Amino acid sequence: MYVAARGGEDAIQHAELFYQAMLGKLTPEAVKLIQQQLPFLLDKVMGEGSLYAPDLAALALAQTGGDLYEAVLLLRAYRSTQPRIAYAEPVSANEVLTVRRISAAFKDIPGGQVLGPTLDYSHRLLRLDILDGIAEDEVPVAPEAENPAPPTYPAVADWQRSQGLLPTIEPDPIEPVSIPDVTTDAVLFPAPRAHRLQALARADTGGVLALGYASMRGYGLIHPTVNELRLGYAEVELKHPVTGAAFSAGRVRVSQAEVITSGGENGKAGYQLGFAATMGWNEVKLIAASTLDMEMNSQEPHPAHSEEFVMYHTEPVEASGFCIHFKLPHYVTFASSMDSVRKVIATFYSKDEKPNQQPETATEVQP
Amino acid sequence: MTTLSDLAQPRQDYSYGFMDAYAKRELRRRILKAIAIPGYQVPYASRELPIARGWGTGGLQVTLSLVGPESVVKVIDQGADDSVNAANLRRFITRMSGAETTTDTLKATILQSRHRIPEEVMQEGQALVLQVPDPEPLRGVTADMSKAHQLHADSDYGQMWLLLYEQLVRYRQYIQGASYPSLVNGLYIISPSPIPRWDTPKLHQAAHLTLLSAGREKRLYAVPPYTDVYPLEFSDVPFQVEDQQGWVCKTTGVQNKFMNELPQEDGTSQYELSDSGYAEKLVKNEAVGATYYDDQGDFYYDGYLKPPVQPSL
Repeated sequence: MYVAARGGEDAIQHAELFYQAMLGKLTPEAVKLIQQQLPFLLDKVMGEGSLYAPDLAALALAQTGGDLYEAVLLLRAYRSTQPRIAYAEPVSANEVLTVRRISAAFKDIPGGQVLGPTLDYSHRLLRLDILDGIAEDEVPVAPEAENPAPPTYPAVADWQRSQGLLPTIEPDPIEPVSIPDVTTDAVLFPAPRAHRLQALARADTGGVLALGYASMRGYGLIHPTVNELRLGYAEVELKHPVTGAAFSAGRVRVSQAEVITSGGENGKAGYQLGFAATMGWNEVKLIAASTLDMEMNSQEPHPAHSEEFVMYHTEPVEASGFCIHFKLPHYVTFASSMDSVRKVIATFYSKDEKPNQQPETATEVQP
Repeated sequence: MTTLSDLAQPRQDYSYGFMDAYAKRELRRRILKAIAIPGYQVPYASRELPIARGWGTGGLQVTLSLVGPESVVKVIDQGADDSVNAANLRRFITRMSGAETTTDTLKATILQSRHRIPEEVMQEGQALVLQVPDPEPLRGVTADMSKAHQLHADSDYGQMWLLLYEQLVRYRQYIQGASYPSLVNGLYIISPSPIPRWDTPKLHQAAHLTLLSAGREKRLYAVPPYTDVYPLEFSDVPFQVEDQQGWVCKTTGVQNKFMNELPQEDGTSQYELSDSGYAEKLVKNEAVGATYYDDQGDFYYDGYLKPPVQPSL
């Protein structure tokens, strides 16, 4: 077999070796440690990678030296080769094993406000004693409650629905296989809601935050009130292919947010909900995403109000890939543009004199 | 006792050609549709590949869905086979398919390229796969893909003509660089990917099949063999390719092929052939095929390119 190999191939192999040498030896222990110690980082990568696999996410992080976009790409490129062998049953918020559930809309809610694990009210002080090695040796243990908290909590929105503040939703029975899937369908606009929610679920945290924040800060129409924010563990419930019996294939960390704003559908008095959910726990992304979920319905010309704009520009693999592709050589296109510019200069300017005729600016379609 | 692992299939790491059968089937159907409707942008799901998005994943998906063990693959970037990105894609394609590789345009059955069409005339049976960053020729007049889709459906290209007219009014010439918008089969305007204007005429009535694929933007389109492709031009102000007259390749001494301009310390420039496979043959004194432009710079399709006209305003 004749293989065309020249300078370029050597160069890229060496470049990869340099990178690996910089990272040092990768061991199963190091990967395990990432998996145990950095759950929120893992959740971000798994959410954006749209693959719930803590060990693979930890491996991706180790392999890329913690470069998040590279880690997400690794997971996505692995995921895209995997067959979908089954569909899990839908996850309902009421049934999720909930460890944190808060609502900003009410002082108290049915089931109570459950603060759960959070750094929200911590003082953001660096624990320098850890660096000095004089911190307490013991593993921190949460104090045991006198009365164990219930594992599940009702949805706040259900109370509002019962009050007539929110429209009731009739469940629309659909075979899982018929649910539009953003990973295997050609995405067209207007996009089905399934595509929108899937795109938000795997969107870039930073991208969603930037657009969501622009919207909240004043470019948008909506002042979001966090109706409910929930972190929990969902059972991955499958039906046995032969017996049809339901069984759990395991638990995954999931999170969801609902923001509420006044103004019902079609100008009626009432409220509307924006919703977002993702695999893993990622609160900032969900609050921004659920705001965008509502903003995308608006008719206003602000970019965050267009689902095409939001969905295209918050896709982490595509956005980061395109951005770094500008590192690739572009000297042919640049030469082509330089040819045009030189011709214009020759037409309008002579070498030593001042321009006799100033061309106005016109737009070129950028390559 | 039978254990679960006895019943399980042996682990298969990756499919032939990397993409799974469903993804390949989708791609092949979309390709057929694209060939059937020349210049129409066919949406597809676009799978993630182990190459960063924007680095040729659209072209790569098409190549991977076409490639077989008997294929001969050439990959170029900016005309060069040894460009790092071309080398990387070629390495991946052979690793996943076992296909042969070549730097010879005429030996390739599949030629994947970024930003160039080679100098030697491609033949029937060959497939040229162009990597496309932005499939939408109307992007400059509307960034909104849904609106652009509607404009294509209505053949409403008035804004494109206006753009060209404005260029003539302001600059007395078209100022578009690469990616010159072109009308395919008299119906759809395409972006011929950012190939230089030098390469755009090569698509017209070409013997080979051209597939253009944008992985990030999830669109693919085609110029089937022997299809009309005309760059947008007013009848009295003809389209012009890059003017490289007098540029002589420092290595081979040839002229009237697309050149890279290499800035020199003394403020001058040197030139070298952009098509490295063609240059390689010349250096080795091997037989070369017919070229799209002859030694005098005349295009092989008589009367297609016309001398420049500068409108007086």
